[in-house]
Amino acid sequence: LNLMPTAGTKIFHFGPCSISMSVSEIRSGFTAIKANIQARDPIRTLSILSHPRSLHKVKSSERCCVTHQLFNFYVDKVFKHCKTEDSYVNRKISSIANSFLSVKRKLGQCNKCTCGQESTEKLQQVLVNYEGLNVTSAAIKSLGELDILLDW
Amino acid sequence: CSLPNPRNVHFESINMKNVLHWSAPEGTGDGVLYKVKYSVYGIGKWIRRPECRNINRTWCDLSSETADYEEQYYASVKAFLNGMCSDWVETARFNPLTDTKIGPPMVSLSSTENSISIILTAPEKWKRSPEGGSVSLLQVYPGLQYDVSVLNKKTKQQWFFSISNNTLVVPWLEPGTVYCVSAQIYVTTPRLHSGFSKEYCIATLKDK
Repeated sequence: LNLMPTAGTKIFHFGPCSISMSVSEIRSGFTAIKANIQARDPIRTLSILSHPRSLHKVKSSERCCVTHQLFNFYVDKVFKHCKTEDSYVNRKISSIANSFLSVKRKLGQCNKCTCGQESTEKLQQVLVNYEGLNVTSAAIKSLGELDILLDW
Repeated sequence: CSLPNPRNVHFESINMKNVLHWSAPEGTGDGVLYKVKYSVYGIGKWIRRPECRNINRTWCDLSSETADYEEQYYASVKAFLNGMCSDWVETARFNPLTDTKIGPPMVSLSSTENSISIILTAPEKWKRSPEGGSVSLLQVYPGLQYDVSVLNKKTKQQWFFSISNNTLVVPWLEPGTVYCVSAQIYVTTPRLHSGFSKEYCIATLKDK
């Protein structure tokens, strides 16, 4: 996810509207718990976001819609199932979730970008991957893949 | 498998030269041999690394196997000694894009009477062979930028610049004076930065 960077804040251009979001805040929050969360995910044979095709393969014309849908996916399906026994980790997760929530709200105020077949199929595949696991494993695995989304 | 496990199994990566490192099992002297395997996250199939089979060193270069930086990886090591063996010990998930260290840029200088021109070159991504095509880290990290420090060696006056392109002209300098330049790379997504390069110095031309 990269557009016109100022230190840590990214301006996302979705059709006619722009969303500012502090990626570095999310990234530093995730970096702090990445090893902990990924260690809780023993399933190596599946990636929620990258199976069967990497996000990097998504056409640039469809990036806007896929990004929009993935934010919704994380807010609506993932964060609520990511409770751990570690209060520090939980605090970081809720901070990341809040950042995602504020972006989702901003996105909701904008015209939705056009979603082509590829983005529809991509989200469908993400949901199939997600629902193929029990909800806690799927949520923790998705959270552990946040860097895949942030690197994209 | 009653041999103690290898310890501290981890990737060390510089400019995406990705080398697996570990420490020998506790309390074992010489003679320990190791074998290595790796897997791509999301595929999960373990793949043996023939060049790192029955080795006695405690590192294994997996740059070739982990060259696709859009993927993430695991690697694992097992120790053998006198018919005994350890468990497989795995790394954390390795993401070349965020887990590599970036080297400092190359700095080339030229000068006139009142200015110096600075050209910066980002390091190249590790490549399989010297003849192989070069990929600059600039291509890997499109948001790559440079911090440049310029020091007047005589007055110790110093300036700092942050630039996105790789050339910088510093005007209004004193003729016949030595200026020293050092530069650093930083990337905003993902958040990475190199160390500062060593100092490169040049003198502005004397007044005619």
